[in-house]
Amino acid sequence: MMNAQLSDSDSSVQADAPSAGQSWSRLVKRIQSGDASAMEEMYGVFTTGIRFYLCRQLGPQDLDDRVHEAFVAITQSIRKGELREPERLMGYVRTVVRRQVAAQIEAVVEQRRRQIDPSLGAVVCDHQPNPERQAIEREQTAVAYRVLQSLPRRDREVLVRFYLKEQSPAEICREMDLSATQFRLTKSRAKVRFGKLGRARLERHRGFRLRD
Amino acid sequence: MAAESDCHFDEEASERYSMGTFSDEEAEQIEDHLLVCEACRRRVAESDTYVAAMRRAAARVRRGTARRMD
Repeated sequence: MMNAQLSDSDSSVQADAPSAGQSWSRLVKRIQSGDASAMEEMYGVFTTGIRFYLCRQLGPQDLDDRVHEAFVAITQSIRKGELREPERLMGYVRTVVRRQVAAQIEAVVEQRRRQIDPSLGAVVCDHQPNPERQAIEREQTAVAYRVLQSLPRRDREVLVRFYLKEQSPAEICREMDLSATQFRLTKSRAKVRFGKLGRARLERHRGFRLRD
Repeated sequence: MAAESDCHFDEEASERYSMGTFSDEEAEQIEDHLLVCEACRRRVAESDTYVAAMRRAAARVRRGTARRMD
């Protein structure tokens, strides 16, 4: 899969540059030997990626604490020698963070179960997304809806099948008698239109605010 | 250090990741890359927004069609 979709982007990488695996191994060794700068380096490399992953999966609540927890878990297991293939540090970090997400989801499921069953003695909380987030989502949905309404019925049907019914491109092409190129074009035109309409609406709002 | 991966994934892969249609193994490859690549994180964030908006809008279209057929 990835071979087809990943592309080389940095032809300037020198032939004698250390591979990523070798660099990870060296970093892991330095962390194991207690080198504080190695810890900083690992923090610098992974913080944003971990934040992104945790925020995407669990939302922005308690994000700083969760990132910190992930680093504590990663560092402790490196120091204990639990990382058996240091050259695979990146995959190990991903595994730790994935486990953290799974544990958090399990905890939320358990909490909801308790909310449903008052005999288990938990307080019922309000889990509504914040009003600002809701307003942004409403705006984005309105733009997407306008895009869909502006399309010929057949193109609209293609997108509804793809995004809502999650039919595969092959299935849609077969059932609607489309070529793969026609399918891709329909999708990419809609995306371009979404971007243009979204920007136009944003500028109108800005202009409105400036005139206030 | 050579932490930054020198490969990126394209828009289609980004959208598939947002839609959750990759196998676990494929998603892991994407996630490894996202840990160290800001450009691809931005692309996935954009895809997430777009896919979510299209899903909500498509559901609205579907509901409208269903009402008209009643």
